Amino acid sequence: MNEQQLHAKLLASGLPGIGELDTSARDPFVRVDAGSIVAVLTFLRDDHDCRMEMLHNLTAVERPDAIELVYHVCSLARHHALTVKLSCPRPDGGNHDTWIPEVPSVAGVYSAANWHEREQWDLLGVRFAGHPDHRRILLPEEWIGHPLRKDYVYPTWHDGIPLELDAIPLYEPGGGQAAAEAAAASAAGAAGAAAKAPRKAGEPLFQPPAPLSTRPLAPGGKTTDTPASELGSH
Amino acid sequence: MGILNNALPDIAPVRAVDAAVGWGRGSSLWPMTFGIACCAIEMMAVYAATFDLDRFGAGVPRATPRQSDLIIVPGTVNAKMAVRVRRLWDQMAEPRYVIAMGACVCGGGPYVKWGYNTVKGVHKIIPVDIFVPGCPPRPEALMDGILKLRENVTREAVFARREATARILDARGG
Repeated sequence: MNEQQLHAKLLASGLPGIGELDTSARDPFVRVDAGSIVAVLTFLRDDHDCRMEMLHNLTAVERPDAIELVYHVCSLARHHALTVKLSCPRPDGGNHDTWIPEVPSVAGVYSAANWHEREQWDLLGVRFAGHPDHRRILLPEEWIGHPLRKDYVYPTWHDGIPLELDAIPLYEPGGGQAAAEAAAASAAGAAGAAAKAPRKAGEPLFQPPAPLSTRPLAPGGKTTDTPASELGSH
Repeated sequence: MGILNNALPDIAPVRAVDAAVGWGRGSSLWPMTFGIACCAIEMMAVYAATFDLDRFGAGVPRATPRQSDLIIVPGTVNAKMAVRVRRLWDQMAEPRYVIAMGACVCGGGPYVKWGYNTVKGVHKIIPVDIFVPGCPPRPEALMDGILKLRENVTREAVFARREATARILDARGG
């Protein structure tokens, strides 16, 4: 069957919330209401003529006015495929911090949807009601935010791991600004006390080693770089 | 080498012993069996017959960090992996060496701007001895990096007190 016939079949099924077929796209798609997505996919899977036994993709798109979920289902037995979309309209002022859209989970219809839905939750922040294992799948469980949202704010550190390019100054031959700052700090006698202070909540678990040029050899040792000629050989 | 490490005067007999120890260390750099992403495929090619890292005594990838001298970090280090990389490096015994392999590990690579969970260079977590850039580097490039490291290790002062070596050891967290 082609997409028009599949769409006619869906309309004939009497299920509520089935929209028009859009054939302007390369993959024609059917818009459905969020409330009927589970019934629609169950019908497409179980109907003898449809036999869409495979969900080969479940993804989401953030648009200015909505987050759109896209379900690609296909039938290996009948050699046809259909794209189903549903839209979660953005409320006024709904942004990354205030708006988490919620749609019914289809993990009960297609097992493949389990991980796909976890991925959409992880990266785009769509909640799936009734999901059996609603956790992040890629990022650490304690990650804050959903990185593929347009208004996501990039983190500088995560649990002691530097994530920004400039989180730690790079090694500068000959000292540079970092060495000057370290020298000033040690002159003030504050560096040692600061290093031994107990870790406070939210502080990094470990600090990566300072650049070579900022590390003194020994108490009172010189911090300048040794010329390559002095490295010598035996 | 414990309390003798870098503690003896820099005189000829000590240097001779250092040369022997350095030769031994440099000729048997055992890397850890460790791969993260696509660079690991090139690293495997270096171990395999065509390039044959065993010619330089480094073809014995160990299955545990406790037996290995060298960790090659091949592939994108993200926030989740960084904790594991650091823990593996922590478990390695001294002397330990690090090779950063590939653009991602050397400074973020293609993820340098929009990589929200990529560590922009593994040198922000562990001290790196050799950087091998490339995306991914050719096997020849990694071999060159290992040979450069071998050169450094061979020339390293083990017992003799030499400021340059002390500084390197200190930076390595030793």
